[in-house]
Amino acid sequence: AVPGIVRIQTCLRVAGAAAARPECFLSVQDGLAADFRAMTKTLYDLNKRSNIVRGGPLKELMIENFDEEQIWQQLELQNNAVLDFFKKSIAKDAEDEDLCLLSDQEAEGSDAETSSDKEFEDNIMEAETEQMNVYTKDKHKTKAKEKQSKLKSKSLMQKYSDEDSDIDFDIEALEQQTKTAKETTLRKKGRKSVVDDKFFKLAEMETFLEHAEKEDKEEEDDDDDINYFEDIISDDEEDSEEAKVKPIKSSRDMTYKDFFDSVDDDDGDDDLVANDAEEDQEEEADSAIEEQNEESMSEFEDMDEVVEHMRSKEASKKVTFNLPDDSETEHVTEVQLEKEINPNEIKSSFEKRQEKMSKKIKSLEEALLEEKPWQLKGEVTGQKRPENSLLEETVLFDHAVRMAPVITEETTFQLEDIIKQRILDEAWDDVVPKEKPKEEAFEYKKRISLDHEKSKLSLAEIYEQEYMKLHQQKTEEEENPEHKEIQEMMDSLFQKLDALCNFHFTPKPPVPEVKIVSNLPAISMEEVAPVAVSDAALLAPEEIKKKNKAGDVKTDAEKTPTDKKRERRRKKLRKRMRQREKEQRQKLLEKMKPEQGTKLSKKAAAAKLKRLTKEGKASLLKDEGKDKALKSSQAFFSQLQDQVRMQIKDASKLKKKQKKEKAISVHKLKL
Amino acid sequence: QVGKGELRKIPVPANRYTPLKENWMKIFTPIVEHLQLQIRFNLKTRNVEIKTCQETKDLSALTKAADFVKAFILGFQVEDALALIRLDDLFLESFEVTDVKPLKGDHLSRAIGRIAGKGGKTKFTIENVTRTRIVLADAKIHILGSFQNIKMARTAICNLILGSPPSKVYGNIRAVASRAAERF
Repeated sequence: AVPGIVRIQTCLRVAGAAAARPECFLSVQDGLAADFRAMTKTLYDLNKRSNIVRGGPLKELMIENFDEEQIWQQLELQNNAVLDFFKKSIAKDAEDEDLCLLSDQEAEGSDAETSSDKEFEDNIMEAETEQMNVYTKDKHKTKAKEKQSKLKSKSLMQKYSDEDSDIDFDIEALEQQTKTAKETTLRKKGRKSVVDDKFFKLAEMETFLEHAEKEDKEEEDDDDDINYFEDIISDDEEDSEEAKVKPIKSSRDMTYKDFFDSVDDDDGDDDLVANDAEEDQEEEADSAIEEQNEESMSEFEDMDEVVEHMRSKEASKKVTFNLPDDSETEHVTEVQLEKEINPNEIKSSFEKRQEKMSKKIKSLEEALLEEKPWQLKGEVTGQKRPENSLLEETVLFDHAVRMAPVITEETTFQLEDIIKQRILDEAWDDVVPKEKPKEEAFEYKKRISLDHEKSKLSLAEIYEQEYMKLHQQKTEEEENPEHKEIQEMMDSLFQKLDALCNFHFTPKPPVPEVKIVSNLPAISMEEVAPVAVSDAALLAPEEIKKKNKAGDVKTDAEKTPTDKKRERRRKKLRKRMRQREKEQRQKLLEKMKPEQGTKLSKKAAAAKLKRLTKEGKASLLKDEGKDKALKSSQAFFSQLQDQVRMQIKDASKLKKKQKKEKAISVHKLKL
Repeated sequence: QVGKGELRKIPVPANRYTPLKENWMKIFTPIVEHLQLQIRFNLKTRNVEIKTCQETKDLSALTKAADFVKAFILGFQVEDALALIRLDDLFLESFEVTDVKPLKGDHLSRAIGRIAGKGGKTKFTIENVTRTRIVLADAKIHILGSFQNIKMARTAICNLILGSPPSKVYGNIRAVASRAAERF
């Protein structure tokens, strides 16, 4: 046994030395490789000699001239035997009811009471060994240590490869320790409020609620969040640090202890809790015993949790919730704790400023990390923002339509100024009446006249003449300007001379410049026939008589009733106009020369007639009705009858009258 | 300078034989004197043949001469056809009445009558207004003039074929011609 221990010590020394300089593992270390190989052999042989594990084909590990792969395979051959041994021993110990975990826990508890970091490491190591004891339930410490060492070596082997950097067991432990150091699991020492109780801390509740709210928001995004009440254990949990959930029991088996710390003591029985934790861990270990590496990891995690509990022993007893994301809150709590550590110191102004600054920075950072408010989130429908929140916002948007002008006093004054100025300038916006351009008759001539005869000129000559005309025009324009200039100059000169010599000189009215442009077509100009015969000088019918607005001249038969009515109206209008003119003339005449006027007027004539008839100089002709037109034979005969009767009457009257006259006239007898 | 001698042949139909004989002087004089080409009438083949010679200065003269003779053969007067030689931008367009509208028998005759007018009145009117020359040979129509004028005349003739009365056609061509005249 003694040489065995010595050998183990040497192995540990070598491993420790190698682990102390982990940076050398970045390159291939042949010497160290040989050392490790020798170490492996010694350990293997030791184990074989101790005969704890029975079975296995190889008596000793062959390493000379053997490949890594071959060494591994040799070890692998041993695995089955070892596993069987473990199973048996654990089964045996599980049946053993005398054994319990309390004794071990007390030992752990006593160890964990020291809270320095250095001791922490040792605690981890010791706890680990005790864990091992728990697993194996073997009272032989040496054996356990051997197994532990073997396990260590095996885990080492599993991690060891030629080219990769070694993850030494101790290094692993160091890593774990640093991880755990970060995740300090202090229970909250938050603000104390009136409501606080043994169970209940207001500050804790608030943090928990905030936490829950955040998670509610994350639920939409994250489907991977763990459902607290599910039984599923994901593979990520065991590897990630955050999954510091206690080994999840099915919801049926949850008890008071899972939710709450024990009620009675503040310095309470974390042991109890730890016990429970460890029992759970043991159960888990049974199921997961084959995955040694992961076991070790989970061991550490569980260990950490146990340590957490131990640490929290210092804190007062409170209600705690089994949260998966405790790390965040614990960050905060740690910071808070640190702040409150120095409340009594007086701070310099610089420090105060610094504090304020850091607070501000922190708040800004938090604001940035948090979810943006709805105002900054692009298109927001009514459901996504709080009710009536838009009323409190000042919203800017583009108007597609030009806004109606706002009428203020200033604008009215401006308008009035414009109006006044316009009136002064007399710049009215009157509508200019449109005039229809009246085409005069002789315009017809100017248009191209249609010659219905064969042209006298040949085509060549026509084009020739056109060409000549074009060129002649050019020459004409060239000559004229000079003449014009001369003419103008002479005119001005003579005007000045006249003004000088003639006092009563009145200047001639400006002569409008008239340029006669012959617009007649070439054909009419070249009319060969004599002027008298040619009809070019003749007037067109439209020039003689203006065309009727209605159109063609119609006979009476062709006229429509509207045409007839129109004509009648026009006739009456003409007559009316003539009558008015006449009357006006008469009036004028009466005013100017009264005698002539009265002669001709109607009144004068009527008066004259009356006078004459009275006097007896004139007698009115009886209207016997002979002038009337006789339209029917009946009328004719009746009239005839009347006439005859009248004649007879007259005749009889005459006779009577004659008789009368004969009888009476004494005057005439002269008696 | 012209290289090898080039030859153009223009066939003469029987009905134009006599007019050709009558106007032969007037035809060959400008060709020979002004264009420096050689011309002859081949009695056997009944073709007018024009050939370049050493004195020919202009290569396009041959084309012009050929066009001139062709225009005369189609029915134009010599003086009118002479314009082809004197002016570069005169063209000759031919089409048939049935190209415009498929007419047969009496309708065709009536269309031709409409184009001609009484005593050729309508045809002369179009000629005068558009400054072109028109030859109406049964169902074939040939127009000689500048490009724009040919277009005007062609439009007028097509309208007549399609059936519009002459007075309307006069109005249209008058309007178009006045517009064209204003532009220049």
